[in-house]
Amino acid sequence: MRSFEDYCWRHLLSEEMATIYAAYHRERRVEPRSAVLIVHPADSFTPTIGDWVPAAEHIVAEARTLGLPVLHSILPGELATRRLAPRPSDHVISRHADSAFFFCDLEAALTRLNVDGLIVAGGPTSGALRATAIEAKSYGYHAAIAEEATADEAALLHKMAMFDLAHKYADVMAVDELIALLRHAIAMKVA
Amino acid sequence: MNVATGLWDHLLDDETRALLAQRPSRPTIGRRPALVAVDLYDLVYDGGPRPVLELMEKYPASCGEYAWQALPGTVALYEAARAHDIPVVHVTYDTRPETNPKPMHPTNRRRRQPDLNLYRLKAELANRPGELVIYKKRASAFFGTPICAFLNEMKIDSLIMVGESTSGCVRSSVVEAASYGFPVTVVADCVFDRYPLNHQVSLLDMHLKYATVVDLASTLAALRSRPALAKAG
Repeated sequence: MRSFEDYCWRHLLSEEMATIYAAYHRERRVEPRSAVLIVHPADSFTPTIGDWVPAAEHIVAEARTLGLPVLHSILPGELATRRLAPRPSDHVISRHADSAFFFCDLEAALTRLNVDGLIVAGGPTSGALRATAIEAKSYGYHAAIAEEATADEAALLHKMAMFDLAHKYADVMAVDELIALLRHAIAMKVA
Repeated sequence: MNVATGLWDHLLDDETRALLAQRPSRPTIGRRPALVAVDLYDLVYDGGPRPVLELMEKYPASCGEYAWQALPGTVALYEAARAHDIPVVHVTYDTRPETNPKPMHPTNRRRRQPDLNLYRLKAELANRPGELVIYKKRASAFFGTPICAFLNEMKIDSLIMVGESTSGCVRSSVVEAASYGFPVTVVADCVFDRYPLNHQVSLLDMHLKYATVVDLASTLAALRSRPALAKAG
């Protein structure tokens, strides 16, 4: 796996900053009993950094193959991102605030699905994605994020959000790494 | 009120300037504000006003010089709030061992168990009799706490927020406060973090998306010019 700091924020990282945040370094993982949560941005969202949809499609395809639940958090009055349209077997939850958990039945749905990990994708990175991933951790879920499956309207805000998430709240990695860890975790569980 | 642009001006580029230009105007301090102070306990002042880099080995949770720089201004803000009948709501960590028998932490920082006494509020910022203290176990002051019920009972219509860390518990609390519909004013001089970049970008982000980030001087001026309110009830 790439080293802990070798992701999109790498050029923001001064030596002092790296030293101060080294205490957050840890081995990253993906829980075998994960669900995928797609945080669909508004239709008006025009990212300047990150092309999140292909990586999210990749993750969703893998989840379906592995039989993992797929949930969609969609803003009221908005449609799902076209290439990630929910299937009938998916769960669709309306999002009323930046966190996908805020006053809706997401947590109840996850409890019923017996999920203990959440793979979060979507955007904006520094808005709904960040708020959702932090609240996922608050609720006791192990959050994993593929850096390619996020996008934002400003590179600085995107990178800083990914940095903060990676250190404090979620396991951030490349999409290939995420898929590999997920398959590995499931194989270990079955073995 | 003066927006604390000085803190993030040097970071602005075309993209962030464009976002600032689109920022909607938001209400700030209403008729019945509350001052909400997040996680201002001894632990983050431990080791004294020294660089974080110097303190981190022995005091891994300390914000060192940044914490101590913000202290006099925060004391002044508490005084102004109390003098103008603005409730001060203190938010801190619930250290009761029975509430965390198998340690689960709000963040992923590898940690040594600190002396739990260090979660006592900083003496200069201690709660006075009659002031509300909220005990939490996660990043947001709202997560798993009754703070909303108390804000409703006190008929609070807006929040003035201070505390630490800017990019951690303050930001999470601000996001959730805004989600609940509270106008939020963040006093930039009275929030701090362990590293300037995280602090500055989080302030900019909060100002763009959730709150109004202002300087202490104009906050004090705004509070001092308020007429005395009749007490509720």
